[in-house]
Amino acid sequence: MTLAKPIVLAEDNPRDAELALAAMEEEHISDKVVLCHDGAEVLDYLYCRGQFKTRLKGNPAVVFLDLKMPKVNGLEVLRTIKADDKLRAIPVVMLTSSREERDLTESYTLGANAYVVKPVEFQQFLSAVKELGVFWGVINEPPPEGGRSHQ
Amino acid sequence: MESATNHQAQVPRLHDEVGKHPREPTSPIAASSKPFIRWFQLLTIEQRVLAGFSLVFVGILIISAISYYNINGLLRNSGLDGRSHELIQLLSTIDAAMGEAENTHRRYLVTGEQAYLDAHKRVIAQKSAFTTYLNELTRDSPEQQRRASDVSRLMERQVSLESKAIAQVHERGIQSARRMALEGAGRRELDGIHQMVAEMDVYERQAVNQRVMASAASTRHTIMLLAIGAGLQLVLLASVYYLIRHDITERRRVAGELQRRGELLEAANKELEAFSYSVSHDLRAPLRHIDGYAALLRKAVDQSLNEKAARYLQTISDAAKQMGQLIDDLLVFSRMGRQEMLRTTVNMDQLIKSILFDLRLDLQGRQVSWTIASLPEVKGDPSMLRQVFMNLLTNALKFTSTRATASIEVGVDSPNSDEIVLYVRDNGVGFDMQYAPKLFGVFQRLHRADEFEGTGIGLANVRRIVHRHGGRTWAEGVLDKGATFYVALPRGESKL
Repeated sequence: MTLAKPIVLAEDNPRDAELALAAMEEEHISDKVVLCHDGAEVLDYLYCRGQFKTRLKGNPAVVFLDLKMPKVNGLEVLRTIKADDKLRAIPVVMLTSSREERDLTESYTLGANAYVVKPVEFQQFLSAVKELGVFWGVINEPPPEGGRSHQ
Repeated sequence: MESATNHQAQVPRLHDEVGKHPREPTSPIAASSKPFIRWFQLLTIEQRVLAGFSLVFVGILIISAISYYNINGLLRNSGLDGRSHELIQLLSTIDAAMGEAENTHRRYLVTGEQAYLDAHKRVIAQKSAFTTYLNELTRDSPEQQRRASDVSRLMERQVSLESKAIAQVHERGIQSARRMALEGAGRRELDGIHQMVAEMDVYERQAVNQRVMASAASTRHTIMLLAIGAGLQLVLLASVYYLIRHDITERRRVAGELQRRGELLEAANKELEAFSYSVSHDLRAPLRHIDGYAALLRKAVDQSLNEKAARYLQTISDAAKQMGQLIDDLLVFSRMGRQEMLRTTVNMDQLIKSILFDLRLDLQGRQVSWTIASLPEVKGDPSMLRQVFMNLLTNALKFTSTRATASIEVGVDSPNSDEIVLYVRDNGVGFDMQYAPKLFGVFQRLHRADEFEGTGIGLANVRRIVHRHGGRTWAEGVLDKGATFYVALPRGESKL
């Protein structure tokens, strides 16, 4: 866990964000979470601009994306990430309430690495977020940074 | 959900309208009580058009027949006219010839010149031809025939008298026949012939006149008939054209209306989809928050929470979960109505086996005696049919949970060649048959929530799926003895 890369959580709903952070807290990984309130902020983070201009360079370990977000929605963010050579390797997990078939299909077509439906039951939500955080943030070996993006 | 069922119900109604259309009254005279018009109103457009064309056809036939008859008459008359003119010609020839005969024989008697005798003989030689010709030309009229035979007889007598006179002169000399030579031997007969020929001539000319008048009248009638007939045909054809055009316009209107409604229906379906999407996404979030914050609260005040407060918190969580389940079930129900169907062959044996495998956790701690018949293959959507039997088997397990040993049977029963009837029978709590019609409705439950859990959508889903397969569902039950749920699926390819 030392020097692990940050986890980007895109969640426009403050309650969902708080619940997700509470779950991460239990696994002691909440301090690595970067919370973005919409898709535009996620892109700002990834491209180190706006409020994230001064952040440490490097891609996050994983991006958790909600589908429905203001400004830029989850699918648009996903499309941008997977279309950019420097960002394409970042694992993207869709974390959403929607179980609609077309959302699933479109997400996987665009190159999502996983698709998780937020369970209504908090215990399940808790364990889902915990597992996701631990798996992608700790267990999973992130792709190496290419020479170009790692300055 | 409700609007979805309404849309489905509207489609057959539209079809009805199209089918009914030709029988609807199409003009203001519909209100008339005349039996013919009432009868006409009952005809379909096809029958009306057929009737119109039949009338036109019959009209053409009648007009043709009458015209044919009339023209035939005209032709016959013109033939008769030709003969009449010939007869008139012949009569004047006979008249002149007989005058010539009288003249030449008399001159011969007086002068004894051979040239006159030769001329007389030439006339006599023509006599039999005259007789034959005369007979021939008067064949059609008995009256003229009678006169003709008079003429022939007179000619015969004139000629024979003249021949006798000539013979007498040859035998006894001119003196013996002088008086005859002055008066003429057949003078009386010749006068008779003149008179008779004049009579015949008058008669024939009158006949010709009458025929000309009759022909003119007949021609006038024929022309009038043709004109009236053409007018009537025109009116009939115009009516038929009107009928067809009216029908085509009406059909076009209905087709346009159908298309418009189809578009509306599609728009409504799109809206419904957007609605259920939004339900799926937005309604779940607050429920997740209720349950989540209740859990966080419980954790935060863990030590100081008394039993009552803990129960309240638990109830909040349970209610949120229940609503989550309800939303999920409704979404499945809505999706089952919209989702595109696959049509493949489904092996029911394997389907049931895989369902039982998935249910193995629910079966822990239960005594269940299974009777599963060898099941046939059916045509349909595998995942939808799986949903059907998953629901039926889950129900069977649920409602036998009060039995020490549950007995569940899955069987097949095919009374006819059109459909395959599958059933799931249990020895559970059953139901009163008077509630049977309610079983398959959305949110219909026959048991209190604390007896058996459930949202009341499972059987509604079963029915919806089976209907989409072109099949039927029904149930039989005896209170406290058990229930049997039937699913009948069409054997062949059903049109959906």
